[in-house]
Amino acid sequence: MRHLNRIWLSTLALALVSGLSGCGSMRNYKAETDSLASAAAGNNLNAAIATLEENNKGDDKDLLYFFEKGALLHAKNDIPASTQAWLSADEKIKLWEEAVKTDPGKVMGQVGSFLVNDKTRRYDGYDYEKVMLSTLLAVNHTLTGNWENARTEIKKTHEREALIAEFRAKEYEKQEEEAKGKNIKTTYKELKGYPVETLDDPDVTALKNGYQSAFSHYLAGFVYEAMGEPSLAAPGYRKAIELRPAVGILEDGLSGVDGRPRKRKTGETDVLFIIEAGTAPARQSMAIPLPFFWRGGLNYTQVSFPVIKPDRSVFVPTELQVGKDRVAVSEITSIDAMSRRALRDDLPGIIVRTTIRAIAKGATQKELSKAGGWAGLAGGLLGAVATAVTEKADERVWRTLPARIAIGRAVLPAGQHTLTLPAPGGVQRFDITVAGKYAIVPLRIMGPTTYALQPDVTKLASASALGASHEPDADTASAAELKPAKQAGKKTRKKSK
Amino acid sequence: MTKKPSLMSKLGAPLLLVSLLAGCASTSGPVTEGGGNVTYGDAKAVETVTNEFGSTDLQMIAETMARSLSQHPSMRGQPLVSVSEVKNKTSEYIDTRSITNSVKNQLMKTGVRFATDASTMDAQTDELMRQNQTGLYKKSTAAKIGNMKGAKYILTGEITSIVKKNSSTKDVYYKFSLLLKNVEEGVDEWMDEKEIRKTSRR
Repeated sequence: MRHLNRIWLSTLALALVSGLSGCGSMRNYKAETDSLASAAAGNNLNAAIATLEENNKGDDKDLLYFFEKGALLHAKNDIPASTQAWLSADEKIKLWEEAVKTDPGKVMGQVGSFLVNDKTRRYDGYDYEKVMLSTLLAVNHTLTGNWENARTEIKKTHEREALIAEFRAKEYEKQEEEAKGKNIKTTYKELKGYPVETLDDPDVTALKNGYQSAFSHYLAGFVYEAMGEPSLAAPGYRKAIELRPAVGILEDGLSGVDGRPRKRKTGETDVLFIIEAGTAPARQSMAIPLPFFWRGGLNYTQVSFPVIKPDRSVFVPTELQVGKDRVAVSEITSIDAMSRRALRDDLPGIIVRTTIRAIAKGATQKELSKAGGWAGLAGGLLGAVATAVTEKADERVWRTLPARIAIGRAVLPAGQHTLTLPAPGGVQRFDITVAGKYAIVPLRIMGPTTYALQPDVTKLASASALGASHEPDADTASAAELKPAKQAGKKTRKKSK
Repeated sequence: MTKKPSLMSKLGAPLLLVSLLAGCASTSGPVTEGGGNVTYGDAKAVETVTNEFGSTDLQMIAETMARSLSQHPSMRGQPLVSVSEVKNKTSEYIDTRSITNSVKNQLMKTGVRFATDASTMDAQTDELMRQNQTGLYKKSTAAKIGNMKGAKYILTGEITSIVKKNSSTKDVYYKFSLLLKNVEEGVDEWMDEKEIRKTSRR
């Protein structure tokens, strides 16, 4: 009977190896997204998009596909297509939100599944990704002159944050109870060899949580101000200060919220420069031997935990120049730190799930190897291979998000200006044209390449002529036109239309 | 000979009653039901989902302020009032314009008239320009430029909050203040406050 059990276990292990190694859950996301980031940094967004399509040939595209596609098209300045991809991602996030609203216990149950590897679960996106999605959608809408739609995305961001806060509070409470019930220590400091310094970094511990950012809230302030709603703009700037204290540009945002519109003269544009630098760090799988007791003896099995190594090499300029005037630029959000904060908060749950699963797998392997001779050797080997193949930490993450976000703000006379930006690929110069009372000018730095985004002016004009429902107000619509101009330093790519 | 009532006549009365009662439901039109569990509720029902600013707070503030102001002597004679932005000094995204719109709505029902404020000024001046500068309108019917009326009073105010929380309790205190100022004389004619305390426990 025991012999039969071992045969059955061997078959199961073999099925696991052959089945899972071929399925989508065993995709190497880090390698895939590394190649995307590399192509984008190498001034080849079309190749990056082609690679993304190649890696996602099926009809049922996942959330990550739409995240990455939207971000690559955003950098490419194909704003309508970027918005479309991100709205598809948003539909998937809405499904998660609906599930959380109607049956949070069920969502927690899926998250808390001990038998399923984290990699095989449906990817619902990390909380900061969900929040950044609606934030960046708001930026996209301003670039096409749809400030009303931007306002809707901003409001959605607030509602999303509130939902996440409520859900996570319940989830962490449940995890704590489960860990206590199963007598598992959930502190990551107990994991031998785990790089705890990546999570205990002051940049990480200073954050209030892993999903709220000063950038999202400052942008909310800016959009509400542009819409003539200072009573909603003020809490946006105030929240940004709470999330990132002692940053001058954030404090100026709040202190000037009432007087700024009055001080601005006719024909002047309040311009928000957004510098999106680098790419979000990868999640890597790190194997750690886990001791466990089985039938009176001490055994070891391999477990894997996700690790995020900070990327200190991302360059963020501290100023840019418009004509002869210098505009101070301040970093206000680090997605790098936020992603590590998200991991820090999620790790207790990951430890509970991984430990229980690993003990079950370790015990199976131990049973398989008990059979004598070749059968035992083969069984033990298969069990070990099954553990190694299936027990990999979840490496999925939205990589083409910027690692760091900085902003600068200046009131400029409407019209053409020369923008000078120090960047890794040398000093970049662009001719920009701004119009209206408020405008947003994003600049995407990836490796040595800087992509400058511009609104689709023709679409703005046609929307206006047709009197579309979201017709841009001639005074409030963003209309910053960026054109590449002469540059100094190394040759780099600048996007223009 | 008495005729026995038929099945139809037996069921007729209850059926009629049921159909009449069904007709009394709040949604009198045809109802399209999908698979979801969507229901309509009372917009005035007390909402205690979270202790963030909600619909009940907005309604309480608007009602208190409108009642207080409408009873003030300055409102006799239907003066012209302009509504200024109520400053939001909290960290919550509270749409104070929605509160002042509700106050305005209730005051208008009592006869108070309101002058154009900043939130609708653009729409009004755009329309004035369209009627006067595009050449599309009859001069005799076009609204004349320079006839806008200045308000005697301006309504302004602020909302503040104090939030305290520990591991088990969150306490939020809101204070909404509204002030009526005589524009020409620079005199504060009326002021009132509405305080709200909301406490939630985990």
